[in-house]
Amino acid sequence: MTKYLLTRLRQSLITLFLVSIVVFAGIRALPGDPALALAGEERSPEALAAVRESYGLNDNVVIQYGRFIGHALTGDLGTSSRTGLPVADAIAQALPVTLELAALSLLLAIVVGIGAGVVAAVRRGRPEEWLANAIALIGLSIPTFWLGIVLVLGFAIAVPVFAASGYVPFGTDPIDNLRRMVLPAIVLGSGLAAVVMRQTRAAMLDSLSADYVRTARAKGLSRGSVIGGHALRNSLVTVVTVLGLQLGHLISGAVVTEQIFVLPGFGKLTIDAVFTRDYATLQAVVLCTSAAYILINLLVDVVYSVIDPRIRLGGAR
Amino acid sequence: MTDDRSVRDGGTLTVALNSDPDKLDPTLAQTLVGRTVFASMCEKLYDIDEDGTVVPQLAASLPVTSADGRTVTIQVRPGAEFSDGTKLDADAVVTSLLRHRDLPGSARGTELAPVSKAEATGPLTVRLTLDHSYVPLTGVLADRAGMVMSPTALEKYGKDFTNHPSCVGPFRFVERVGGDRIVLRKDPNYYDADRVHLDGVIYKPIPDGNVRLANLRSGDLQVGDQMAPVDVRSALTEPKLQLFNSPSLGYQGIGLNVGNVKGLGQKPGKIDTPIARDVRVREAFELAIDRDLLNTVVFQGMYEPACGPISPQSAIAPGVKPEDCPRRDVGRAKKLLKEAGVQTPVKIELKTSTTPEQGRVGQVLQAMVKEAGFELSLRPTEYATMLAETDAGDYDVFTSGWSGRLDPDGNVSNFLKTAGAMNAYGLGDPEIDKLIAEGRSVADPARRTGIYDELTRRVQDAHALIYLYRQKNYVVAGKDVAGIRVYGDGLVRVKNAGYTR
Repeated sequence: MTKYLLTRLRQSLITLFLVSIVVFAGIRALPGDPALALAGEERSPEALAAVRESYGLNDNVVIQYGRFIGHALTGDLGTSSRTGLPVADAIAQALPVTLELAALSLLLAIVVGIGAGVVAAVRRGRPEEWLANAIALIGLSIPTFWLGIVLVLGFAIAVPVFAASGYVPFGTDPIDNLRRMVLPAIVLGSGLAAVVMRQTRAAMLDSLSADYVRTARAKGLSRGSVIGGHALRNSLVTVVTVLGLQLGHLISGAVVTEQIFVLPGFGKLTIDAVFTRDYATLQAVVLCTSAAYILINLLVDVVYSVIDPRIRLGGAR
Repeated sequence: MTDDRSVRDGGTLTVALNSDPDKLDPTLAQTLVGRTVFASMCEKLYDIDEDGTVVPQLAASLPVTSADGRTVTIQVRPGAEFSDGTKLDADAVVTSLLRHRDLPGSARGTELAPVSKAEATGPLTVRLTLDHSYVPLTGVLADRAGMVMSPTALEKYGKDFTNHPSCVGPFRFVERVGGDRIVLRKDPNYYDADRVHLDGVIYKPIPDGNVRLANLRSGDLQVGDQMAPVDVRSALTEPKLQLFNSPSLGYQGIGLNVGNVKGLGQKPGKIDTPIARDVRVREAFELAIDRDLLNTVVFQGMYEPACGPISPQSAIAPGVKPEDCPRRDVGRAKKLLKEAGVQTPVKIELKTSTTPEQGRVGQVLQAMVKEAGFELSLRPTEYATMLAETDAGDYDVFTSGWSGRLDPDGNVSNFLKTAGAMNAYGLGDPEIDKLIAEGRSVADPARRTGIYDELTRRVQDAHALIYLYRQKNYVVAGKDVAGIRVYGDGLVRVKNAGYTR
């Protein structure tokens, strides 16, 4: 297990390094001069030249990359060319927002998705299954932006239970935090809940018809124990794989949700950085997101072995 | 537009901006939304009032200019303090003006270039020596170049002043969370603090109009700045919301590439396209456009048709009124194309930004000019890319706009002067250059009006920048908020705002 982990960690670092090169080159391949994007409608040649100079944009791309990596290794992610604020600060402020949003959405997807999936499988061919399938289909089909606006109109304006926008840290005011995070979490988590429901249902149907479940029933185990302890536990391997893959999507999918609910997270930071060609911020955000993806994949592999002992990782041989 | 209902003390106002401001350093800042934030925390030597007239703000009176126009004396307001508690005096004004002029990367450098010397001749007296007579100076000092920063804060924070801005203003800077909010709190050191009612102001960037409106409706926001006409129409159906508006000093139009072959700041060259070669083709293009219809279809008639660089609202040199703009004349447009001997349809590509409104402007233009014999194709281009391409001269026609400046010079010189810093059109006309120079040096308002009228005619005849409409500044606010001021410079002033009793 340790050997496997070390190998995976090494691979992850190499991937991250390659990603940094692709990100760096990709951002610079975007048309549009960052100095121009920054200057907007007022662009005197002197001011543009000074901006390019002060952010080292006149240097060779290789030198710029070397400087970026050198600084990044020491924890210095540079300064935003637009706001003049340190990028590390911006990330430190945005990260908790996106992580909380992703975590709440994930929780919602797990509770609703797995619950509905189990019900749909157990009550196969009955109205409950039809209902669960219909809800899943709706969850998959509704555009995020539309759902967001409808929820705001319904639950922040018509019946003002939740807030329409903004973020308050959980530590500052837990109630207000949840008041602001529930609607975004529903919007972001609805698609994932639908995916999880369908996966759970399919896996449960497989499990419920498997020999070991029949054996468990024959042994006289309770219905709950058969479904929860045997069928669901084995079905979860597939579900965890899907969740792992989708968690990355949650973080990147937060872009639209954060725009609708004006949440100062990674998505909003990324969009702002793209439009202003804020290289330093964009690089850092994409790198952090890539690192999160890589880490999640690693964690998913580890969780597999915990859920299903049949899966033996590298060290078993 | 103002609102003078009486208000109670206390409360915080949340104002939505349509984008995140850039640096909160008056020397380096370049965005319009940034100016709105500065309006609450960084006062200027001069300001404008409801009628667009320049009035003293941190200066004690209007500037006194010598007979030859080369020496300007400014009296500084006595008894004012910066938010860090230090005193405002002539030295502080001089320090700020020189920083605006000389700091590398300063966005104010060009505006203050004619100032060759700035000195304090008394505790509250500043004397500026100019290279040449420069009438727009007062207008310039009523904008960011006239903002005075605390010399103590400048020395303490240096380049990092942007994260610790300290000026004279009704509110002082507290914190900024990039992309999320800028928080200001009432400044007890402010000379007019008695008339400031709010405890604080929070500025929140919310680019999407729908989202801004939803937040205004839910009461999470109290003020929405720069609302689009479609959102304003929608907001007006809400009994809890009210509308403020003011005409703007800027313009929106389309730029035609008549000679930009080497990029900005370079001498115009020859371009071999029908619209660049022959002024009759450009005139035909303009004659095919119906400005009123464009305004009605795209902006619900809520903007003003325009055909010149200077707004009729400008106090210094009133521009052409909307009703005096050339009318659509498809017959004449066709005739001009025939005279020019070009093969129809004349194929032209229009670069527009990617906003839905600009897309609709493009579609309406496309339909209009088609009747006259133009085949207009649209290329929506992301903003930064469009700037890079149009500055380099890589375009036929693009949507070109300017938020406007108080002094007419700020709306013409950089754009229309040969090799001007923002002359992306490649326009080069010695007569226009001469009129721009005269407009800057003649102090008499009546004579200036004559000069800018002639300049406008000349620019209209060149058809290199076809002015189409002027936006209006629409600000939507909750009805329980009073005391907001929206003037022609497009800024939302909340100094005297508060919640109604």
